[in-house]
Amino acid sequence: MHNPYLPYPVRLAELRVETEDKNLRTFKFEFLNPGDEEKFAYMPGQFAELSVPGQGEIPIGIASSPTEKGHVLFTVNRVGQVSSYMHNMKEGDIMGIRGPLGHPYPLDKLEGKNLIIIAGGFAVTTLRSTIVWLLQPENRPKYGKITFVYGARNPGLLLYEDQWREWQKRDDIDVYVTIDREAPGWDGKVGFVPAVTKEVCPPPENTAAIICGPPIMIKFTQPVLEEAGFEPENIIMSLENRMKCGLGICGRCNVGPEYVCKDGPVFTLAQLNKLPREY
Amino acid sequence: MMSLEDLIKKIQEAAKRALKEGKAEVVLGYQAGTTPMAVAPLFARTEGDCDKLVWSNFAKTNLSTYLPELKDKKVAIIAKGCDARSAVGQVVEHQIPRENVYVIGVPCTGMVDLEALKSKEARPVAASDEDMATIKLRGDGWETNIAKEEILRRNCKTCICRTPKMADEVIGDEVPSMTPDDYADLKELAAKSPEEKMAYFKGMVKDCLRCYACRNACPLCYCPVCFVDETRPQWLGKSQDEMDTFVFHLLRGFHCAGRCTGCGACEAACPVGIKVREFNRIMEEEVQKDWNYIPGLDWEQKPPLTTYRPDDEADFIR
Amino acid sequence: MAEYIVKESALKDFFKSLTEGRKLLAPVEVDGKLQMAEADPENISINYTNTHMSPKSAFFPQTERLMAFHNDAEKSDPFVYKPLGLDNVDQTVLFGIRPCDARGLVVDNLVFQNNRFTDPYWKTKYESSIKIGLACHNPCPQCFCTSVGGSPFGEEGLDVLAVVKDGGLALKSVTAEGEEFLKGLKGTESGDTSATMDELKKAAEAKMPAAIDQTQVEAREIMDIYNQPHWQETADRCLNCGVCTFVCPTCHCFDIQDETSAKGGVRMRNWDTCMSWLYSMHGTGHNPRPTKTERVRQRFMHKLKYIPMKQNGNCGCIGCGRCVTMCPVNIDIREVARQMNQ
Repeated sequence: MHNPYLPYPVRLAELRVETEDKNLRTFKFEFLNPGDEEKFAYMPGQFAELSVPGQGEIPIGIASSPTEKGHVLFTVNRVGQVSSYMHNMKEGDIMGIRGPLGHPYPLDKLEGKNLIIIAGGFAVTTLRSTIVWLLQPENRPKYGKITFVYGARNPGLLLYEDQWREWQKRDDIDVYVTIDREAPGWDGKVGFVPAVTKEVCPPPENTAAIICGPPIMIKFTQPVLEEAGFEPENIIMSLENRMKCGLGICGRCNVGPEYVCKDGPVFTLAQLNKLPREY
Repeated sequence: MMSLEDLIKKIQEAAKRALKEGKAEVVLGYQAGTTPMAVAPLFARTEGDCDKLVWSNFAKTNLSTYLPELKDKKVAIIAKGCDARSAVGQVVEHQIPRENVYVIGVPCTGMVDLEALKSKEARPVAASDEDMATIKLRGDGWETNIAKEEILRRNCKTCICRTPKMADEVIGDEVPSMTPDDYADLKELAAKSPEEKMAYFKGMVKDCLRCYACRNACPLCYCPVCFVDETRPQWLGKSQDEMDTFVFHLLRGFHCAGRCTGCGACEAACPVGIKVREFNRIMEEEVQKDWNYIPGLDWEQKPPLTTYRPDDEADFIR
Repeated sequence: MAEYIVKESALKDFFKSLTEGRKLLAPVEVDGKLQMAEADPENISINYTNTHMSPKSAFFPQTERLMAFHNDAEKSDPFVYKPLGLDNVDQTVLFGIRPCDARGLVVDNLVFQNNRFTDPYWKTKYESSIKIGLACHNPCPQCFCTSVGGSPFGEEGLDVLAVVKDGGLALKSVTAEGEEFLKGLKGTESGDTSATMDELKKAAEAKMPAAIDQTQVEAREIMDIYNQPHWQETADRCLNCGVCTFVCPTCHCFDIQDETSAKGGVRMRNWDTCMSWLYSMHGTGHNPRPTKTERVRQRFMHKLKYIPMKQNGNCGCIGCGRCVTMCPVNIDIREVARQMNQ
């Protein structure tokens, strides 16, 4: 019988500091046991429990795309006991990952549509996964125009800079990276995510929006999309709640009858409109 | 002695008066319960609510438990002696402003220990009735009366404050206090070896579910984050480990030292019948011995363990 | 279906044969309280209202060690968690589960074996057990199984249903496993029990209180119930202790904790409670259920609205009455259910 509580052992292959304040680091893991990578078959939008022996587990969105073979990536913010411990780990250290958990973004259902992908702060992780996947030659033709809006407080807090600078050079995705206030040396956009979204938002016809960001960003971006004419069914969001099991059993992450871990974390606004705002 | 009906009438009148005169925007009292031998706390906000107020021999909840969360409101509280003492303690410890609490003291002849009742009447009880001195029980084809005096809670048997004289008003007839606890059994415990004491305490708490009902029912456990809930650092494991469970009860006892008014709400709330108050009793005796202090009787006097004087004995520091 | 009689004089032989090849859990007195616990066949009670705690801990203990690791680099797999407790699981037989509690186990089972994941720690214990229910002749004043779709003679979740008759037992199998199990027991003799059971069932059900109408709760949208004004009143007096959740047969929430020693560590789960602020608190300090009101509402919504939505209309409360009896401030789920339905 498969034991969904048992983590796959992984080796920390590479550790990279992502932000100037050093609070975000990207962890590149390789599976210790041959065959585990295949068992950990995932799609963009899913998450995993990062499992540190003796310390505990934290649910983190998968930042790599399944098309990137040989490893999985997670970007972790230092907030609690487990994440702080992880920030002090060294390359070569052994820990575990458990998953994949949750449902991915409904990329199959979105085929044929234009997409606007909106990210705020470090919630960009699973959207990095999504864009890498979408830009694969075998996937890109299945979708219409792709627009990517990504904002952070200042340039030092933007993740994956090499990657989005590469995307900016392409002509099959429009990339708008913005910071909240002017900063020395910044030559890109300045302004909050909702304002930039309003400016660059494609027409709502045959278009879906995928949003992931802090509650305040979602709070102000959601009305922008609704005013632009997006139906709640076409506004797709990923939620976070405190989790333990990740399997829809231990209870705590529920929003109404839905468990964020098992039934989410991806929900449409149409679904969320019928549920308590307990997230 | 005033009848239960008359006392209830007086309570309702006092509550209405407190609302009407602006002494309180909410009155904490008791209402009839939905099951036999139970009453439920009531937050009376209107005159109509006040008509639901009752008094009972089953009023085991210490209503001052709710005061710290209502500290920004003007609150009146229907209080037994021990409850009034807790309210005093909360004021002295700066948890609630004195001007926001209005204590309506009810002289109390003691509350029923449900465990003791069960040991006298084990059959399932379908309905109960009561007067000041008698508990009347009815079941499937039977009826019986039990004298309240025979099934009092242990803390009520040694109550030193049956009439809360420090209350803002006292309704009902004054009742004399009981003979104070002589702690005789604690002397026996003190004479035991450390191993025997450990076995005694572990045995006491072995059924503990770690539900923390004792803590949540306690008017003194108002910490925003209890030490058992701290995660960084995590002081205590969360499992059924007997040492972790024991340490929880032991530390709660220490935290309540010189503050506990012996209201028994902790024991009454415990779903598995742990004699939670025993830990507090031990500290209660220590504080009386060392500082001749009894908490909750004086609106001004600070508990000894929260005060510092330059001439405090310090020879225990080496 | 197989039917048997156990005469009063044969009860001890019967209970003794339950222990052959299996661990027997049955209502026994432990420190003054009746508990579903490992039982000496000599001391099993058949006359009781219900066990103090529910039988869920037989399959979902309050503390359960899930896995362990060692940190010795000289040995294989340092820092790699290995599962505990899944091999050589005890074959158990539970005798004397009340029908309400058996339905509670069914609710739990659909959580531990949900539409996406199977909990192996639950499954191995749950499915290797034989569950013998004991019907209620004299429902206690706080119980209300018939109000929530059950019966004092309910069979759901059981392999065998027993009823006390003439000081002994009448038994009937409910499942094929139950039928097979009954074949090998001692102290039994074949006999027609159906007629007796039907008669006693009618008498017992007649003693139960009127049903609690939940048609409005079923029909209404989540947010319509969520925004009702009565929640504040219930929350006022709630102490946010976890008594209701700990004693509830269908409360299944848990916390996962790691504990370390010098040589390694274990990962365990412990019962948890949605009444605690810590339960839903984010690492960032944000809490989606910040006050007593949200937490109290969560528990009742979960039992009476969310579980029915997810489990084909079946109520998440099975009417055992433990929370009603043990709540320190007399919060009564029957009353809350009525308010939700108003």
